[in-house]
Amino acid sequence: MNTFISTLITGTANGAIFALAALGLVIVWRGAGVVNFAQMGQAMFTTYIASNLIASGNSYWLAFIVALISGSLLGMIIDLLIMRPLAHKKSSSATKTLAGTIPVIASLGILAILQALAGIFWAGEERGFPTPVNSFYFKNGDGTLPFSAFNLFVIGVVLIVLLSLTYFFTQTGAGLGMRAAALNPEVARLSGIKVSRMRTLSWAISGAAGSLAGLLITPSTNLSPNTLDLILIIAFTAAVVGGLDSPLGAVIGGLILGIGIALVTTYGSPENVFLAILFVLLAVQLIRPNGILGGKQVRRG
Amino acid sequence: MDKYKNIWRKNLIKTLTLGVFLFLLSFTFEPYNQGQLALVLMLFIGVLSLTVLTGASGQISLGQGALMAVGGYSSASLITHLGASIWIGFLVAFFATAIFGLILGTAAARVSGPYLAGTTLVIALALPSVANRFESVLGGDVGLIVDFGTPPTWISNLIEVGYEQWQLWVVLPVALTALFFISNLMATRAGRSWQAVRDDEIGAAVSGIPVARTKVIVFVVSSAIAGLGGALYGLRGLVGPSVYPVSLSLTLLTAAILGGVGSISGAFIGTLIVVFLPDLIDWAISGLAVSEQLSNYLPALLTGFLLLATIIINPAGVMGAGHRKKH
Repeated sequence: MNTFISTLITGTANGAIFALAALGLVIVWRGAGVVNFAQMGQAMFTTYIASNLIASGNSYWLAFIVALISGSLLGMIIDLLIMRPLAHKKSSSATKTLAGTIPVIASLGILAILQALAGIFWAGEERGFPTPVNSFYFKNGDGTLPFSAFNLFVIGVVLIVLLSLTYFFTQTGAGLGMRAAALNPEVARLSGIKVSRMRTLSWAISGAAGSLAGLLITPSTNLSPNTLDLILIIAFTAAVVGGLDSPLGAVIGGLILGIGIALVTTYGSPENVFLAILFVLLAVQLIRPNGILGGKQVRRG
Repeated sequence: MDKYKNIWRKNLIKTLTLGVFLFLLSFTFEPYNQGQLALVLMLFIGVLSLTVLTGASGQISLGQGALMAVGGYSSASLITHLGASIWIGFLVAFFATAIFGLILGTAAARVSGPYLAGTTLVIALALPSVANRFESVLGGDVGLIVDFGTPPTWISNLIEVGYEQWQLWVVLPVALTALFFISNLMATRAGRSWQAVRDDEIGAAVSGIPVARTKVIVFVVSSAIAGLGGALYGLRGLVGPSVYPVSLSLTLLTAAILGGVGSISGAFIGTLIVVFLPDLIDWAISGLAVSEQLSNYLPALLTGFLLLATIIINPAGVMGAGHRKKH
């Protein structure tokens, strides 16, 4: 029974992190029409920055905040230097052939560059990453409770982020502007919203969300240039399960995957995790390509 | 119909000329260079499969390496467990990967947007788990050990053939067949309807082209070609998860984009670039005191920059000018 409960709690904590990463993907997809395959590469990069700050004697919290800020800056830089010029490029026959895949290819190029740079600067070997609070199960007399302080910390942090994002997107001018720009750029522009600035903002928010996901997941995966690839595909699957254009769907998808993966790992074998992800991804696309909460525009063919 | 026949004949002459040229050229090569040329041709088949997919449907696959693995595993398990000849292996690899592509394509290729890219990426990453899951057949982490074997006696009686040369002689006809098949395909009714779907889905649907089915068929053809390339690629010694990593898929994509999407000669140029870039970098930094860490990651860094620069500056790729003229 204790195993089951601890599996559920670990799954929920990991699911919360996946939800965050999936949310990052959804925000850029809605805001800029790009599935950013470089997102967890950016997160890997900023987690390395945090890791180095801690290694040179700074506190976890300083590193935490610096990583989040550099995550959003990196997102903005990618938009300003690469994605915005791409979006404004005149179309030729080649761009027509590739159409929507150009930003995907660009994001892969960015991923390759970030991973190579991290390898050149820091790699050598895999390193661990600390947690701010204890990650051992709580002691309860002789036995243990089936969760750790770090589990609670993760769930709490993600909950705060989700609530503030909900507030941001429903109550503030900038948040509403971003939604308008995503929904209908033309009309948004006519009502005085700076659409390209909103796009940059969505890259920044998504970059920070990805960075946070990286900081929270690395204690359990260790840090190397490639470790977060797995988180990217889990986040992508979560986003597709929930509906690629639905933030709430991304959160639900993330939790489903987190708990599902924890159950498969505990009661099946860890090797089956990838197969389970693949199965879920294919099944969703066959049965409900719009995802649980997605809009109607996904399928054309 | 006459026009098609002309294209057919023109492609045949071009392909045969290229084949004879490469065949004769290989006699002047050292064994190492013969092996390199064989490697270029294997990867060229993989890049061609991507050229078909992207050129005809506008979609990209990040898991073309995994499809190559499907071909590699199906031929290698036949050769290892049933003692089949490599030629039977190629045939089976072609059809097995086509069936795999059908299953995959039915789910992901009909959906527009980034779905196919993401799904194929998951498949590329899931490959080692699959190999472990069915360890008795697929050999787990290690993989299956296969090679090109030795030339049949009627050849070796006639002329002495080195291993690398034999490797090239096996790869060359397969690569030329794939090349010939694909260059014709684009000119036939099927190929044209694919391009119609790519350029304007609604227009194609109105002209009576079944859009969803066409997208799946494109993916199936692309998969089958990739499987063929993968079967050859595995014969270099080993079919295992380490032979078909995710980076292989990205290398193929890079080659297709660098050379020029949808252009067959571009696919060849792109393959040459990705195969020889690491050698070129090694040669360029050989005189400099560069740390191992830097030299390990430098090829990946440069490839990333090349990919990004191509997509920003000239998305049509190296063969862009020729490609534009056709339209």
